[in-house]
Amino acid sequence: MTFNSLQFLVFFMVVTLWYFRLKNQKGRIWLLLIASCYFYMSFIPEYILILGGTIIVDYFAGLLIEKSEAGKRKFWLITSLIANIGALAVFKYYNFFIDNIHTGFLFFGKPLSLPLLKMALPIGLSFHTFQAMSYTIEVYRRKQAAERNFVAYALYVMFYPQLVAGPIERPQNVLPQLKEFRPYNWDNVKEGLARMLWGFFKKVVIADRLAMVVERTYGHVHDSSSLALFTGAVFYSFQIYCDFSGYSDIALGAAKVMNIRLMENFKQPYLSHSISNFWTRWHVSLSSWFRDYVYIPLGGNRKGEWRRKLNVMIVFLLSGLWHGANWTFVVWGLLHGLLVILLTRKTQQEPERRNKLINALWMLSTFILVTFLWIFFRSENIGAAWAYIKEIFALRGGSNYLGFNSRNELYFSILVIAIMLYREKFLPGHFITNNIRFYCFTAMMVLICYFFGVFAENQFIYFQF
Amino acid sequence: MLKIIASYFFIIFGIATLWVSTSHSVMEYLLNKRDNHEWWGLNQLNHGDLASICYLEYLNKFAITDTTSLKHSRYDGPKNTVLFIHGDSYLMNIHDWIFSGISSFNHVGWNNTLHYHLDTSKRNVLVIEVAERTVRSYFGTTEIIDELCDTTMQKKSTAFRPCSTTQGIRYSSFFTEIRVSDFFNKFINQNLECNLFNYRFIIPMFGAKAAINYYLFSRASGDAVISKNKQFLLYKRTLDRTDINSSFCPLSKEEITKLVNNFNTIYDYYTATGFKEIYLSIIPSTVTVVEPEGYNNLIPAIQNDPRLKMKVIDAYDVLKRSPEKYFLRGDTHWNVYGQQKWVDMVNGVITKEANSK
Repeated sequence: MTFNSLQFLVFFMVVTLWYFRLKNQKGRIWLLLIASCYFYMSFIPEYILILGGTIIVDYFAGLLIEKSEAGKRKFWLITSLIANIGALAVFKYYNFFIDNIHTGFLFFGKPLSLPLLKMALPIGLSFHTFQAMSYTIEVYRRKQAAERNFVAYALYVMFYPQLVAGPIERPQNVLPQLKEFRPYNWDNVKEGLARMLWGFFKKVVIADRLAMVVERTYGHVHDSSSLALFTGAVFYSFQIYCDFSGYSDIALGAAKVMNIRLMENFKQPYLSHSISNFWTRWHVSLSSWFRDYVYIPLGGNRKGEWRRKLNVMIVFLLSGLWHGANWTFVVWGLLHGLLVILLTRKTQQEPERRNKLINALWMLSTFILVTFLWIFFRSENIGAAWAYIKEIFALRGGSNYLGFNSRNELYFSILVIAIMLYREKFLPGHFITNNIRFYCFTAMMVLICYFFGVFAENQFIYFQF
Repeated sequence: MLKIIASYFFIIFGIATLWVSTSHSVMEYLLNKRDNHEWWGLNQLNHGDLASICYLEYLNKFAITDTTSLKHSRYDGPKNTVLFIHGDSYLMNIHDWIFSGISSFNHVGWNNTLHYHLDTSKRNVLVIEVAERTVRSYFGTTEIIDELCDTTMQKKSTAFRPCSTTQGIRYSSFFTEIRVSDFFNKFINQNLECNLFNYRFIIPMFGAKAAINYYLFSRASGDAVISKNKQFLLYKRTLDRTDINSSFCPLSKEEITKLVNNFNTIYDYYTATGFKEIYLSIIPSTVTVVEPEGYNNLIPAIQNDPRLKMKVIDAYDVLKRSPEKYFLRGDTHWNVYGQQKWVDMVNGVITKEANSK
């Protein structure tokens, strides 16, 4: 059940209305948990067993960590981490690992045939395992009390708006909100619905339209012109942003309607003045997770410059691997890490004190760098990514066809990207409080999404992680 | 109070809609109850299947407007042939009076069983007609051999249906029939769209969206794609290189061998049961003849294979010469002129062989 489906719209209506009809929080938690199970099972029902298994392990691990002292605390934490990372290792990385072993043996002329796992990656596995790990780590650090109520804990991991593509939440933020009775509030409903509509707009009007260009250019690297390939790369930057941040907007909006506030995941990342600044604005819940649970425990910047650089590279390597079991993600992560190390000092010279033109140039160059790195992220393999980049710099002619049948669609795409950037830069947050304006905004967005949306039941890109 | 009543109404309505859209049997039941001539009926495909599916049926360019019908046969020679045709939707609405020199005519679609009683005093001829887009999915498996060579089995429907349902479920038990897999039915969004929006009185709104996208972006929605020359709507799956129904999906020699072998197995079966002649006729997809660049050559590869035992009625060679003349612009099928051309070819084969006896 993707957010941009009719099934979700009906599901959301039923769950939200029912939620507000219940007068005690116990009933609400049960309702949300059952709804979240249905939501998750609508992808592949059997995979709920994997999710359920890790929830049970982490629930008891949390209780045992809290109850135990010293060495035993660590033991239960490691047990929980092994369960979570083990699930990731088996379902996400096993085939990648085996494939590489096969390649290695083949290279030395000794073909090997180890069995591969023949099952699809459970939807959102990386998201909910990371969220579960943040719970046990926080309990271990004594920053969060172990949750006694199993249903509340299960809901913390499974809360449907953020179950399959984040934001990756922290227990301190979500658990108290889930357990507290939060009354109906019309202002929150307005804000939540307006945000959901904005997310739908970004997904169906922008991202899925740009996907046509991206699919065309990435599928025709050798017969497309350099200009077409560059346009495809730039459009992919906006496609993945509108796709993922659109999902986050819908998730945050859906939670907000129920008076629950989730973590912001995006802060206008394409207005970043450096790569390190980009990572404080893009997928914030993941980068802060790596900062809190990997970078700082490794020593952060407290153990000298070389150690800092190593820690940065480790974090970006893991970040790349988190996105997928493919060398393209590894290279993408490492290149980001490398750029963060190389460019941090030079670009951290208080951007507000530079003049606007210089700032704009930094933003533009950061955007172009990020765009080129996305090529690794989008390509099937490193060879394909490299070929794509080479063809851009070949500055040659070829087909300028972008997958659009009319130039109007290209102009329209540029227009909606500009509208999206303008709105997020100059009208951030919830800017519609007046009822009449809200109704007008809702009607306008529904009509725009309906008439100009591209509906092909496209999944959100980040579901695959 | 009104708000509370409204919220309970929408909760019940929502759950009921999800349940109805989840259950195959309830969907089947409801679809059969809907009168498609009334305002609550389903959108019909009368104006061309693709034009209707993408709601461009209101544009004359793609709508079917020609009312010409097939010609009566004027043949007055001997009628010593019993003609059996096993075909698909390309041969909808054909009648015995269009064929020459036949004493009896039997036509069944792929979703029906060919019940045949051979008249041993006559010449029994079988024509197997199949759309190009379904050749690989039908004849690439051995199931088709079981189906074609076993008259007791039912065939799967290949016709366009606006809503997804499963056939063969008894309506009488649908209230008690609970299957876990139903709750996570992958067709639920199609069924929801059907239940919530597929009503004749709402269709003009879909038409407005389709027209805006067509005029503004030269684009059709759903399963339809506008051809490069902007004259035809093409079935999306026939263009998708990754889909075996496509005219551009790569084809290996091994696959051709397998297809030819399967045709030969069918030939052997029907020859053994007493058929005198068995013909194969593959009707090209519109895109094959309208945009042939990059075509995977499926039809020539099969028809020209020396191992193929069936005789061929080569529609491809004729139809590709003037696709504008023989194919509908907003439909996956040919027009009446294309159909007539094919009938003439069949008649030519029947009468030529008959006269030569």
